[in-house]
Amino acid sequence: MLTLREAFAAGEFVRTAEVGPPKGTDCEEMLEAAQMLRDKVHTLNVTDNQAAVMRLCTLAACVKLKQAGIDPVLQVTCRDRNRLAVQSDLLGAASFGITNVLALTGDHVMAGDHPEARPVFDLESVQLLQVIGKLNAGTDLAGNELHGAPDFFPGAVVTPEADPLEPQMRKFEKKVRAGAKYFQTQAVYDPESFKRFMERARRHDVKVLAGILLLKSAGMAKFLNRSIPGITVPQRLIDDLASSDKAGERGVELAAEFIREIRDHCDGVHIMAIGAEHRVPQVLDAAGL
Amino acid sequence: MIVVRQKKLEDIQAEIAPYKRVLLVGCNTCAAVALAGGENETSRMASTLRLRNAREGGDKEYSFTVLQRQCEPEFLEELDHSEADVILSLGCGAGVALLSEIIAKPIMPALDTLFIGAARGYGSWRAECSACGNCVLDQTGGVCPVTRCAKGIMNGPCGGVDNGKCEVDPNQECAWVTIYDRMEDLGRSEDAEKIIEPRDFSRRITCRAWGLPEGGSK
Amino acid sequence: MGVTQHGRGAESLLGELLAPCRAACPVHVDVPRYVQALAEGRFSDALGIVIERNPLPAVCGRVCLRPCEDGCRRCQLDEPLAIAQLKRAASDHGVYPTLEAAPKRLERVAVVGAGPAGLTAAYDLARLGYGVTLFESKPEAGGMLRYGIPAYRLPAEAIAEDVRFIAAQGVDIVCGKTLGVDLDLEQLRADYDAVVVAAGLQASRPLPIPGNDLPEIATALPYLATCRDGQPPALGERVIVIGGGNVAIDVARSARRAGAREVTMVCLESRDEMPASAHEIHDAEEEGVKFVPARGMKAVVGTDHVEGLETVRCVSVFDADRRFAPTYDESDRQVIEGDAVIFAVGQGADVASLGLETTPRGLLVVDPATLATPTEGVYAAGDVTCGPTKVIDAIAAGHRVAASIHATLTGDDRLLEMLDEDFEKLGPIPEAVAVRLETRRRVQCERLEVYEAVETFDEVEEGYTKYEAAREAQRCLACTTGAQLDRDKCASCLTCSRVCPYGVPVFQPGGYPYFNADACRACGACAAECPAGAIRLGGWNEDEVAEKVAAGLRRPEKDKTIGFVCGYTHDLPSLLGKDAEIITVSCLLRISDRIVLGAFESGAKKVVFSGCTEESCRFPHAMPLVAERVCRVRALLEEAGMADDFVVSGESEDADDANGTADSADDSVGTKPVKEGAR
Repeated sequence: MLTLREAFAAGEFVRTAEVGPPKGTDCEEMLEAAQMLRDKVHTLNVTDNQAAVMRLCTLAACVKLKQAGIDPVLQVTCRDRNRLAVQSDLLGAASFGITNVLALTGDHVMAGDHPEARPVFDLESVQLLQVIGKLNAGTDLAGNELHGAPDFFPGAVVTPEADPLEPQMRKFEKKVRAGAKYFQTQAVYDPESFKRFMERARRHDVKVLAGILLLKSAGMAKFLNRSIPGITVPQRLIDDLASSDKAGERGVELAAEFIREIRDHCDGVHIMAIGAEHRVPQVLDAAGL
Repeated sequence: MIVVRQKKLEDIQAEIAPYKRVLLVGCNTCAAVALAGGENETSRMASTLRLRNAREGGDKEYSFTVLQRQCEPEFLEELDHSEADVILSLGCGAGVALLSEIIAKPIMPALDTLFIGAARGYGSWRAECSACGNCVLDQTGGVCPVTRCAKGIMNGPCGGVDNGKCEVDPNQECAWVTIYDRMEDLGRSEDAEKIIEPRDFSRRITCRAWGLPEGGSK
Repeated sequence: MGVTQHGRGAESLLGELLAPCRAACPVHVDVPRYVQALAEGRFSDALGIVIERNPLPAVCGRVCLRPCEDGCRRCQLDEPLAIAQLKRAASDHGVYPTLEAAPKRLERVAVVGAGPAGLTAAYDLARLGYGVTLFESKPEAGGMLRYGIPAYRLPAEAIAEDVRFIAAQGVDIVCGKTLGVDLDLEQLRADYDAVVVAAGLQASRPLPIPGNDLPEIATALPYLATCRDGQPPALGERVIVIGGGNVAIDVARSARRAGAREVTMVCLESRDEMPASAHEIHDAEEEGVKFVPARGMKAVVGTDHVEGLETVRCVSVFDADRRFAPTYDESDRQVIEGDAVIFAVGQGADVASLGLETTPRGLLVVDPATLATPTEGVYAAGDVTCGPTKVIDAIAAGHRVAASIHATLTGDDRLLEMLDEDFEKLGPIPEAVAVRLETRRRVQCERLEVYEAVETFDEVEEGYTKYEAAREAQRCLACTTGAQLDRDKCASCLTCSRVCPYGVPVFQPGGYPYFNADACRACGACAAECPAGAIRLGGWNEDEVAEKVAAGLRRPEKDKTIGFVCGYTHDLPSLLGKDAEIITVSCLLRISDRIVLGAFESGAKKVVFSGCTEESCRFPHAMPLVAERVCRVRALLEEAGMADDFVVSGESEDADDANGTADSADDSVGTKPVKEGAR
């Protein structure tokens, strides 16, 4: 399997997925999921205290994956670290040979299970990309020379179905200028609006992976709408799932249909199915990937 | 102006529980304008405490007065606290602090100091400024990202914008949506595209005191 | 000029802003304040306020020609407030105050004539501590009030009420003594430190025309006096009254009552020029008096008895210089048939024999500022110095002569100066405010039906019930009693301008508001909401209210419930019970959080708010603000476990039962417009 960077360069339709670290030290399930997916996708994202729920740190999880021979994407948020810690962790990851990075601002602590924590946000995603750029170039943010520079392949996130869209596009453009080479989008459900987004995104020399969030049931969809920031499942899909006997499979079908429809408009897909990683191969098969 | 809000009465009572004679001191500047610590509010709180005290069969004594401003030493000099065991301040944190420095008695805060804000109408204020010492409102069309963005980021919006509202507080507009709109209305869209560099948070530490004639921060 | 009212000193008006009603009153009664008191059901307070400047409230409430009402700003909207009627209501329902006696002075003053001028002068001097003897030639005090104005306008008992009050201040009233007959002016000058001649105009003369000596001829004053005695002469069925003024009207209406079937008033003036007041003319017409204006009197027709009056057309009464110079058209003759003729063409003074200087018209010469005659120690006041005037002008003269004497005897001329002070008058209602005010017609008081009225000399108007008085008083716009700022306390928070719907507070450079009195309706919102306690209402004293609450809670027969009731509400809610202490206010907006909490602190077990419904409330902002206030106070009371003790009517099911609780003796207003007696 080519690395992410190589796959993009070769023009492949890239496939990525996610695994989540455990809330604890027992990484067995995470590693099993990773193993199951390793040949199906180009790389696996490891989330960073996703939704502000405290979990085993992404750096350690990425190292474990790397040691198991799987090439991860290190997701880095700015919620829990100041600029020193961010740079430290990045250098630490690079020292283990980790090169794929996804720069995120991060969900607010209020969303998670430690809502009284002090949110850091010393930087946000754009500034984080700048930092990554500087580290790649051999200096830290303060301009000091590095004794051994990393070679990160930086990516970022965009929300194609944001409303209003314009501010999102400005941010997108800032991220491109700050050095993002690829984007994994937030979950998208509307092919038309995704295509419109891609028309604009294509003005820039970046790769875009459409984010596919696998739905298991109408209840899950509603829960996502309520609790997870940045995700809005349209009502028609909720109704579709509600009316189906086998919602789980229906979810796979819906995802596959979507992928087939937008396939020619983007550079790949990023499939989010945390807790249901076994369905990822099903989606890929059903989509003909 | 500094916007303050009264604490819950049970929290206040816990603060003054060990003391018998309580002197409530209101403040006729920001606290009065914020309808939290003026003479009217101070008198009301004293009445309520007395009624509660009577109900509980307590022996506390409450009196009240108002100072023009609690953050000025000259105004604090006029305060006659000879009959008080504890002073309950209805001023902002600065008032409580200065009272504590000048008067050798326990000074308890009756208010929480919320933010520097502007009035939106009768009885309504919104936070506009966090006193960060490093104003970037020139770049954001007058909308403070430190104050009005829940994450305080300098290049927004984040991914959590929902219908123009902030994911953290759905009652708030996303500050960065507002910033972009404002800059566009001002014909400054290009300026809005500039990446704002990481902030200098050291001002928070270096700017703890300021005075004439030396002026400026270090 | 209040001469030591309620223990307070006289109040200067210098530089004050007066409401137009007050400005127009010759004695500057504090109309807004007493009307506000009536609006809140405080009849005794209202009476006390009137008496500060006018010691004849029962009299003036009935017969004053009320220049105040012409000034009333409600004229811009609908009808002026019935200020005179309200004054009467205060005297009907309120208790005359018991005033603290002033320290006695050595000097003694004699006042001759117990008419309005003499009574007022005697009252003022007694309140200043002088020993006063008030001499009166007739059997009872009152002068023209008692023996001139008919009883159906001013019953003897009403006069007696005011006279009793005046006498109670230490005035020694001696009736049956006539100056020049039983009293000698020189003797009085020797026995007293000052003498006031307030003898009025006692001479009533006929016109010098042929036939004026026939048997059925009468002149106004003696005729009216016989009516007051209950013994009017029988003058036949058809009576002709000559004259166009109010006295002529009094004569005409009295003649109707005395038995004349047909009464005709004939006068020189045209209908529009008639000096009689419009409502008197109207009342007379209703009672069947006919008017024949613009006629000159040539002769009384008849040989041994009056058969009629020969008249010619009067072309004009006044010449180009407004002097009295009637011209006639002799060719236009008309004989008006009648059985009697009563001359009501003016009164003259009867003081020629006193040895005092007189004018060509026979009036006493006085210095207009001091009312001193050229004879040392002798003063004069009232009609005897200036010809027929209004009752209220005579009262003003009484004040002046008392102040003047006081200045002469003590050298202290403050009181005299205060009579001529400059004050400012409030301007008209700004258009922007006027459009927000709803119009309300005047409350009409009960009167006798015309066919009943003409049968007797009983008082025609019954006067307002307490309820009616309060409702009429509530039409008052409370001019000049509105918001006043204590700058020292103001925090420039803008709250006042935010709660006021009339744009009254206008913020100036420097940050302090200027309160536009022209627009202020004294609702009380700003004063209650001000966080700095920097605003007070001119006509409202929170401390007094707190004292009333405390006093009510001290009364053993009351049940420790305090009800704050908006005077506009019809019905007192049943949750007030009959032992509640009810405090009526002109708007619940005035009852601040502090007053409510203070009531509980003073020991109230329950506090009730009874306010308007949306239909009856005259302020657009009152209900939401009061509702917010209730929530706020309840939240505070919750901390003391007392939230349920603060009740707002309209919230409980039985809140709006009309449960007539307030026929009690004190100042509560009462419920539905059930007709009560005047007392």
